[in-house]
Amino acid sequence: MEYFLGSVKIMLIVYGLSAFIAMLVAGIIKLIFAGIRRQRVSAAAKVDAAVNSSSMPANSEPGKAA
Amino acid sequence: MQEINFLYIFQGIATMVASDPIIVFARIVLILLGIAFVYLGAKGTLEPLIMIPMGVGMSSVNAAVLYLSETTMGTIFLDPMASEPSQLMDVLQINFLQPIYTFTFSNGLIACLVFMGIGVITDIGYMLISPFRSMFIALCAELGTLLTFPIAVAMGLTYKEAASIAMVGGADGPMVLYTSLILAKDIFVPITIVAYLYLSLTYAGYPYLIRLMVPKHLRGIKMDPKQIPSFTKAEKMTFAVISCTLLCLLLPVAAPLFMSFFLGIIIRESDVKPFVEFISGPVLYGSTFFLGLLLGVLCEAATILNPKVILLLFLGITALLISGIGGIIGGYIVYWTSGRSYNPVIGIAGVSCVPTTAKVAQKEARDANKFAMILPWAMGANICGVITSAIIAAVYVTLLR
Repeated sequence: MEYFLGSVKIMLIVYGLSAFIAMLVAGIIKLIFAGIRRQRVSAAAKVDAAVNSSSMPANSEPGKAA
Repeated sequence: MQEINFLYIFQGIATMVASDPIIVFARIVLILLGIAFVYLGAKGTLEPLIMIPMGVGMSSVNAAVLYLSETTMGTIFLDPMASEPSQLMDVLQINFLQPIYTFTFSNGLIACLVFMGIGVITDIGYMLISPFRSMFIALCAELGTLLTFPIAVAMGLTYKEAASIAMVGGADGPMVLYTSLILAKDIFVPITIVAYLYLSLTYAGYPYLIRLMVPKHLRGIKMDPKQIPSFTKAEKMTFAVISCTLLCLLLPVAAPLFMSFFLGIIIRESDVKPFVEFISGPVLYGSTFFLGLLLGVLCEAATILNPKVILLLFLGITALLISGIGGIIGGYIVYWTSGRSYNPVIGIAGVSCVPTTAKVAQKEARDANKFAMILPWAMGANICGVITSAIIAAVYVTLLR
């Protein structure tokens, strides 16, 4: 009986540890991709800003308009 | 003229005549079973890549028993129990499959090579669609791997033997081989054979389980393809490198398996074509071929007549059945928590028989609704299943070794 109860205890430990490690891997994936997305968004914003500034007519600048 | 003893010439028959009736019966049954495996493999009922070489090996080894000396019988295929260096040196020069067995099978190398091949043919991008959900489903689909452990102990197996047979619930052949080689070397042959036998049956058995547990209108739920983000090769490689390093750091005992799997993924994503072609072709198919052949050759009557085999057959099917049920329950939990937009059939793909269970899930969904496309999500759960199986194997081995 003790041997069997020991196996149940091992089973619970194995499941607990495995679930923790598996979720850790999933969390890492999320973190990596959150970082990558952020980088992509900021890079896209920079490109947009550069495109906007270069396509703006010269006389539309506030200083020159006045 | 000297009298010719025909039984001395036809030693396969002579050893049958001289053997114990139980051994003779087992040899005949295994020869017929081997032939049946070849037939069913060629027909497509069982997995042909494993079953054809396994069937040929099984029927040949049981037919080709001869007198090795005046009193001992055996074969000149291989001796799985040779371990003393001098004895090993002798058999390496006599048994024709001994070099492959000693240098690739008994040290787990062949399992790692198969794993590397699986890595090369796996698109990790599927797993990245919804990592938490996929991992949750994969954990649910490991229910058999866990519950079979105490069941096996209650039926009289030791912890190490119980953990080895429980790994069948992960439905991952190389993993079962790796675990049983480390934990239960005495019975790793029947455990691995039981595992591969049942794994090839999942394709035939799991569709019935799905139809039993999931009504048709739920099987036909369509998944939204807009949920699938695109990932660059660099992103996939980043994930593979970090996960591999982390898992090796946490569970060094299964580092060969983790490294092989993620190396395969990295090679695929790095687009080094000669390596991709080499590993997905000659390495994967060569390893699978020799794995099947060696498993067949290991099915010698004397080895298989272990009283634990019947028990292992029962525990193996129990583990796979509970894992399948667990996977579908996981699919249902995600279905309810996602606002009933997730197809619960994907749950079966958490059982990590790559890519069989994912294909089974897709086929069942399409049979219910011809527009239902669930394969990307099923593959995600499938790949997570491989990772969770490797984690569970590593935890079992670390705790029980």
